[in-house]
Amino acid sequence: MAHRWGMVVDLDKCTGCEACVTACHAENNIPTAGATEAGRGRAMHWLRVERYWEGDFPDVKVKFKPVMCQHCDNAPCEAVCPTYASHQTDEGLNAQVYNRCIGTRYCANACSYNVRFFNFFNPQWEKPLQLQLNPDVSVREVGVMEKCTFCVQRIKSGKSAAKADGRELKDGDIQPACVQSCPAGAIIFGDLNDHESRAARLTHSPRGTKLLEDEGTEPKVTYLQRQSWNEPDTQ
Amino acid sequence: MPAWLVLTVLALSAASCVDAPFSERQQAERVLQRSRWGTSSVYTPARTGLADAARTHFGLRADPVQPFAYSHRVHLAQEMACVDCHQGVESGPRAGLPGMNTCMTCHAAIATEKPLVQTMAKMQAEGRDFAWARVYDYAREAHVRFEHAPHIRAKVECSTCHGDMRQQDVATRVVDMDMAFCVNCHTQKQASNDCLTCHY
Repeated sequence: MAHRWGMVVDLDKCTGCEACVTACHAENNIPTAGATEAGRGRAMHWLRVERYWEGDFPDVKVKFKPVMCQHCDNAPCEAVCPTYASHQTDEGLNAQVYNRCIGTRYCANACSYNVRFFNFFNPQWEKPLQLQLNPDVSVREVGVMEKCTFCVQRIKSGKSAAKADGRELKDGDIQPACVQSCPAGAIIFGDLNDHESRAARLTHSPRGTKLLEDEGTEPKVTYLQRQSWNEPDTQ
Repeated sequence: MPAWLVLTVLALSAASCVDAPFSERQQAERVLQRSRWGTSSVYTPARTGLADAARTHFGLRADPVQPFAYSHRVHLAQEMACVDCHQGVESGPRAGLPGMNTCMTCHAAIATEKPLVQTMAKMQAEGRDFAWARVYDYAREAHVRFEHAPHIRAKVECSTCHGDMRQQDVATRVVDMDMAFCVNCHTQKQASNDCLTCHY
């Protein structure tokens, strides 16, 4: 059976350290925009950690929520792309093909989660910082959209390594950069079609919710949390 | 033009032609300059200028200049296999380029009287290595991520993409790897033609 990649984020474990954000930037050659351009809304973060504050000082509770592309089964970005740059692959990835993208930015407007980013500039790295670029990932030029790929390069190399060794792909063989770097183990990645995988089991957890579920986008990322933040810690 | 000026110009140009021995740092800098990241102090994936854009558009590319006149013809005639030197091709994305130690595994004993082999032995003693130039490469804008291993597993011959190396001395670009070339083969072999197979 074909793979169907999905992710689970346990918000009760997330400490908001943003190691995932750093790892994502390093893995995927994401440039930083600088303060001025970030102020104009041109910063790019395939993965961001949202902060939600509850209560008044000093009785404040904060919740962190890492938000990345939700790889929706019914993705609004795909329907509006005039060039098929944004499309669903056989493995359930919401792909962004830079070659096809002509920069209409319809997808960014259609996306409910605000996780698609437009390259307003050619990214620049002062030498010798270009030497730390990941050779397995494209460097996107001005005029194309980009977004979280679930580290498709790692999915490819994981599958390739398993084939080279002549074995089946195991749960946990493939780890996107955010999953690998999370010190709390709050992000879990796996094949949702493999019912034994951790991600597939946790997807059906009673603690699970999906972002903006009632929009009908059918995201493949599940967020686990106690049903109410005000609930006492019983677990 | 006064004679002293002519003499000075001649002397200067002669001095610049002499291939002085490079220090390790200079060698590293030359490698960096020759790298695909260009020569500016800031790296950007954009084309460096109009001329560069025109070259890409018309597919004009300079032939690679190799630091050593390695003859594929001679070595393949000795019953050597591609994977003897281009290691890792069966298991990973890249077909490795041989380093000095790989060459000297054989050449410590074989053909030691040849001047090139003697140069290599000298380079090895000095701890220097080759800076091979890439022969086949994709434009940055192509966003192609090619993996060798799946193609080897699918029994694609090396010569399908790299030409018959038994006829070539220093490797040259003989196959035009445009997208039609890849897609035709993928269609024939019923491999995936989804964009994300190669472009990411």
